[in-house]
Amino acid sequence: MSSQKDYIIEQLKKQVEGIKTETKTEKVGTVVEIGDGVAKISGLSDAMASEMLEFTTTRTDADSARTDTEKTILGVALNLEEDQVGAMVLGDYKGIKEGDEVKSTGRILSVPVAEKMIGRVVNPLGFAIDGKEEIKSDKFYPIEKNAPGVIARKSVYQPVQTGIKAIDAMIPIGRGQRELIIGDRQTGKTAIAIDAIINQSGEDVVCIYVAIGQKESKVARIVAELEKNGAMEHTIVVVAGASDPASFSFIAPYAGCAIGEYFMDQGKDVLIVYDDLSKHAWAYRQISLILKRPPGREAYPGDIFYLHSRLLERSAKLNDDLGGGSITALPIIETQAGDVSAYIPTNVISITDGQIYLESDLFYKGIRPALNVGLSVSRVGSAAQIKAMKKVAGKLRLDLAQFRELEAFAQFGSDLDEKTRKQIERGKRTVEVLKQAQYEPISVENQVAVLYALTQGYIDDVKAEKVSDWERDFHKYLKSTHKETLDLIKKEQDLTDKVVKKLKKAIEGFKEIYQG
Amino acid sequence: MKISAKQYAQALYDLTGGKSEADVGGVIIKFAEELKRGGQLKLTNKIIEKFNEIWNEQNGIIEAEVVSARGLESYQVCKAENYIKEKYKAKKVVLKNRVDGNIKGGIIIKVGDEIMDGSVAGKLRKLKENLRK
Repeated sequence: MSSQKDYIIEQLKKQVEGIKTETKTEKVGTVVEIGDGVAKISGLSDAMASEMLEFTTTRTDADSARTDTEKTILGVALNLEEDQVGAMVLGDYKGIKEGDEVKSTGRILSVPVAEKMIGRVVNPLGFAIDGKEEIKSDKFYPIEKNAPGVIARKSVYQPVQTGIKAIDAMIPIGRGQRELIIGDRQTGKTAIAIDAIINQSGEDVVCIYVAIGQKESKVARIVAELEKNGAMEHTIVVVAGASDPASFSFIAPYAGCAIGEYFMDQGKDVLIVYDDLSKHAWAYRQISLILKRPPGREAYPGDIFYLHSRLLERSAKLNDDLGGGSITALPIIETQAGDVSAYIPTNVISITDGQIYLESDLFYKGIRPALNVGLSVSRVGSAAQIKAMKKVAGKLRLDLAQFRELEAFAQFGSDLDEKTRKQIERGKRTVEVLKQAQYEPISVENQVAVLYALTQGYIDDVKAEKVSDWERDFHKYLKSTHKETLDLIKKEQDLTDKVVKKLKKAIEGFKEIYQG
Repeated sequence: MKISAKQYAQALYDLTGGKSEADVGGVIIKFAEELKRGGQLKLTNKIIEKFNEIWNEQNGIIEAEVVSARGLESYQVCKAENYIKEKYKAKKVVLKNRVDGNIKGGIIIKVGDEIMDGSVAGKLRKLKENLRK
């Protein structure tokens, strides 16, 4: 026993001896003003922009007999003025008093990054907040980083399959693209993003969901839903809740992006959802106004455009020399009463490579996802589609466009000529096929199969209201008896003669046995 | 353009530099009038503070605060003064001694916004941080 005791003591001695306690000069400042999460500090003459600061607070003398009354809170230097530093506090600022000591750390604000973060819920500083074990990492990535330059990039060519028929067919998203999801409250913006994350199971894509100023209950629900669908295995959730300080909401997307860059640098593909950037802009507006930066339009500060452009520019497809990794961003913007021409929506629309526009009218009509196909675009376009999808999607677009033109006549019913009536009926079925329930992503080969059946007129004789039942049974039938056809589509990625022949056979076979 | 307290203080220093006491009195009166005319009397305290800083900097005077657990002996004060003089290449050191039992032992030297923590409490804290890792 005693030898073990000696060993422990010996080890402790060794450890303690190894620690150098030399005194060195440090720069300190004192808090002169504190309020609403922003501190004004005098001194700190060597502070860098966006350097991490350490606030040391001590409690009042009454209980100073205890030694652990000192608490350190992190902060970030934002404004470097002539004889003051304006800093935002990362954490609870209520304990900080006037006259408290502030130390500079010499480190730019950064987050720990690690492989182990996958499957976890973390706060914007990288600390686990899901009650599981601590995430230990000695690797740090700066929160603000310059986006990859022109040479480092490659044009987008691989698709990110969202599993949503309407999006994959008509508004394809490529790896490295930035596609905005925009719409009013309660139109299913988050639902699209979550479906896209769920559909990445088995795709070797790391997903990051950044909740900015979201209700904790909503985040809890999303995490539960991701877990239920087995999607947490490839997902990191970064949460800045509605009750967290605005500084957390402000750094959350940058922290999420830094974590994404860690995986991108390893050559992996990353899908990152910023939910949502309007709240991010609010948080930054709050901080800026308290820092007394001059307000501009809608009281946002002058650099609000750069705030989002520097974030979204960091999404990229890297060239092969750099590992070929990518970050695909799905920023979300909430509009007020459908006003896409407000300040923040127009800014972000101009930064991104296209937008998915959701409308509450369509949502209440029962068209879900409530996608406005006319206003939604993808600027990368068909470069990020497999050939098979390209072929069916072209026809699909045409059908829908014609239907929208003729929709007004639909009420005349039988007075129309045969051709017009047919087009209207086709359009109705197209709209039906593009409806899709939440948490039910469909694989690309199934999408191709059903869209092929639709555009070739195989569904024209099914009643419009029965189309969704027909589709559901069709997918079941394909899975059980024509698995090899689906595999062939996946393998060939194209509608070759062989595929078309097999697909036709499968559809005809299904129609024979199907009773609606 | 708004004139800052620092600029006023610099102006005052430049105006009074190398003048006899009698002349300085006149300058001060004019300076105070100028302040009043500009409605800047509220800046007076800040100007005095800044003037103090500028004066000290120009004349190589350093104000330092030494925190210790117990009161310092005169030879200790002398040692500290000499150390600071050497480190900051100052001509004169104005030393303030503050007694704070919380630091347990050793001394902390504060000069401007620089701090040298040589206290036992600080060393213990560093030890704690290192052991935690």
